[in-house]
Amino acid sequence: MKKYTQTSGEIGDFSQLPIWQKYAWVDLLYVSYGLLIVALVLVSYMFGMLHWLPYDPQQINMDMLMAPPFSQGYWLGTDFMGRDIQSRLIMGIQAYFLPGLLAVSISLLAGVMLGILSGYLGGKIETVITYITNLIDSFPRLVLILLVVAAFKPDIYYIMMVMGITGIPAVATAIANKIRFLAQKNFIEAAIALGLRTRAIILKHILWYNCRALLIIQATLGMGEAILLETSLSYLGFGVQEPVASWGNMVQSGANYFLQGNFWPSTAPALAILFTILGFNLLGDGLNNILEDRRGR
Amino acid sequence: MKQLSVVLLLAMSLFSTVAGVAQAAESSKTVRPKGGVLNYGEYGRPATLDPITSNEMISMRISELIFNGLVGINERQDVVPELALSWEVSPDNRIYTFKLRKDVTWHPRAGETPVRFTANDVIFTYNIMMNPKTITPLKVRFEFIEKVEKLDEFTVRFTLKRPVLNALAKFSFKIIPRHALKNPLYLTRDDPFVQHPIGTGPYMLKTITADREIVMVANEKYFKGRPNIDQFIAKPFADQNILTQALTFNAIDMIVLVNPRSIAELQGDKRFILQPYNALSYSFFGYNLRNPLLADKRVRQAFGYALNRQEMLSSFFNNQGTIISGPFAPGSWAYNLDVQPLPYSPQKAIALLNEAGFKKGADGIMQKDGRKLELTLLVPIEKESEAVKRVVLAFQNYLKNIGASVKVEFKEWQAWKEDVFADHRFDIVFASWVFDDSADISSLFHSAEIGPWKNNFGGYSNPEVDSLIVESKLTLDHEKRRTINRKLHAMLAEEAPYTFLWTLTNYSAYHKKIQHVAIHPYKFFSYADEWYIPVSEQKK
Repeated sequence: MKKYTQTSGEIGDFSQLPIWQKYAWVDLLYVSYGLLIVALVLVSYMFGMLHWLPYDPQQINMDMLMAPPFSQGYWLGTDFMGRDIQSRLIMGIQAYFLPGLLAVSISLLAGVMLGILSGYLGGKIETVITYITNLIDSFPRLVLILLVVAAFKPDIYYIMMVMGITGIPAVATAIANKIRFLAQKNFIEAAIALGLRTRAIILKHILWYNCRALLIIQATLGMGEAILLETSLSYLGFGVQEPVASWGNMVQSGANYFLQGNFWPSTAPALAILFTILGFNLLGDGLNNILEDRRGR
Repeated sequence: MKQLSVVLLLAMSLFSTVAGVAQAAESSKTVRPKGGVLNYGEYGRPATLDPITSNEMISMRISELIFNGLVGINERQDVVPELALSWEVSPDNRIYTFKLRKDVTWHPRAGETPVRFTANDVIFTYNIMMNPKTITPLKVRFEFIEKVEKLDEFTVRFTLKRPVLNALAKFSFKIIPRHALKNPLYLTRDDPFVQHPIGTGPYMLKTITADREIVMVANEKYFKGRPNIDQFIAKPFADQNILTQALTFNAIDMIVLVNPRSIAELQGDKRFILQPYNALSYSFFGYNLRNPLLADKRVRQAFGYALNRQEMLSSFFNNQGTIISGPFAPGSWAYNLDVQPLPYSPQKAIALLNEAGFKKGADGIMQKDGRKLELTLLVPIEKESEAVKRVVLAFQNYLKNIGASVKVEFKEWQAWKEDVFADHRFDIVFASWVFDDSADISSLFHSAEIGPWKNNFGGYSNPEVDSLIVESKLTLDHEKRRTINRKLHAMLAEEAPYTFLWTLTNYSAYHKKIQHVAIHPYKFFSYADEWYIPVSEQKK
């Protein structure tokens, strides 16, 4: 009798390679930089929550207006009201962190559900869902957001809800395409033949085994976009309002003094925005290449 | 602070002091060459350009170039003839008869023959202003006039309801042409005239470019003689920093109102002259007395003690201003110098709050009968400048120190005006008044002025203040009026319906090439027809 055992083939050989040989070094660099930023954001967010800060971010010090970095205990200097920039940068994370997570979860959850419905069931449902996603996609995002700001109030949670909803089509389409592609594969056919329940097939074999990477990538890119949106709106005065700190309104108020030579109060938050968004995007990119094996070795 | 100003046009005073005009008046009679272009920068752009419907400083300045009044105010603050050649006043001070100039024509429009200015235009202007359908801040200023009659083509007679102090100066309102309006009964912002007005003044509106630059050219037939400079161009800027940069890089020749922060930068630059001028204006925090927390005088006084005004003035405005104690601008004769501004004393503030029955709660916020001292400060977003932002954040911080919690709410400009003036949905506002006669504060504090869109938005009502205001308005004796206003000043300082802050010194900056510059305190361009640019500097 012949035994059928899983033998190590080409794939097996590959998976035993050390990680730095397995993937392109650029991707590893991307991912490690991204992870570093994400960790930094997370830790800073915790510090902000617990108020473990060098100074009260709203404490005004009129004797120390726009102090340069490294002056009298202010590591990153002070802003136009003599408030500690370092503390405000840390507190600024509060402005986008939870709202950003909200936006990402909305687009992921709704996107996955619609994607599964349309990809797995197909037919009329697919047509309807395609219409819905096309409808959402056809509105410019910023116009929708400004409508919401005008109709309700400049609240970041409303804005992020809109952002989450407008993010649905991308996720839904990606998931639906993936499912359509997987549905032709033998292992799904096998799973159906073995009598597995539909729920198990979708959740375990399709989503968990095969869409994990896609979802993680969508989440990191979505977070980067959420940060950009929050900071832009706060910059324009529609998002987080003074005296609460946001990187966006910090750049804005600092910019008023830029031409007088006080470039630091706006440059510090601008760099924070740059490096953070870069971090999230590179993490997404790197993960995409590694998990989906996009880059030739 | 112009950004926040609610322009209050009450009545013109003969007594307002003018900085910077004496110098020009003395300057010798040098040859004044014609020609040249003056580009001046404005922060923002006006909605309308006519003198009736506009309530912005920017369009008021443009009106000054395009229009004339019956009388004008010269650099020494005397009333001088403009469109009126002479006048007679009846012994009871109720009838004013003006003889008009016969050599004045309106700016011609393309393809039109110039139309003569006559008595009909004066009567027309008055009727337009007083028509209930015309939306204008001027209406209340001229309610003292009973009727206007035309005696002949070049003579008009105004009959007053009652004698008024300084009535003559009030006839400096700008006259608009009867033949140029689409609607002959009233003027609204839909009339094309408000976008392209014609007048009798030294400059004619030529065109408004696609960039919203307002180009005005010299009126060759100006009755006082052709103005020296060929063109005035008003360039709008959306950012005050860029305004300053534009001047230093020679994109413009003049800034009418320099941002306080840029003063130091321009002071060191030898190419420019920084000229201070005294606008009758001041900034304040105004309280809504409909809120029971703020109805208590002691609470409002406590807020006054809690603020370190000197610190704010020196940190945010480079000390370019004066701290005030009461409701009159310090440049005005009505200002009472014996009343001292409140000193900075948080201890005193806390003591006053305790006296009013407030106790500090566990969270550090004062409370009384279970109600916390929590208030909302309403600030308009659109016109928000960084100086305003700094003042309101500092205010919030000072009040936190005495246990009052202030929530700063930024609102879109129109919504802000509605909340404050129509619905009175606010606790505190930060704003400033710009006066053309700071001696008349009746619309700010008289109880008859409480109501939607009226200026007593805080709902301040005090019979004693009311009667003093009325008395001051009715008296014809200048000394008596002064005494009453000094009393009013002391009383309102004590009552603190506002926390009076400061009046800022306004600076205009301009290139040295512009000569013989005299600036009117709030109309600015009143004497611009005499400015000139030497020939060697004219080509750009």
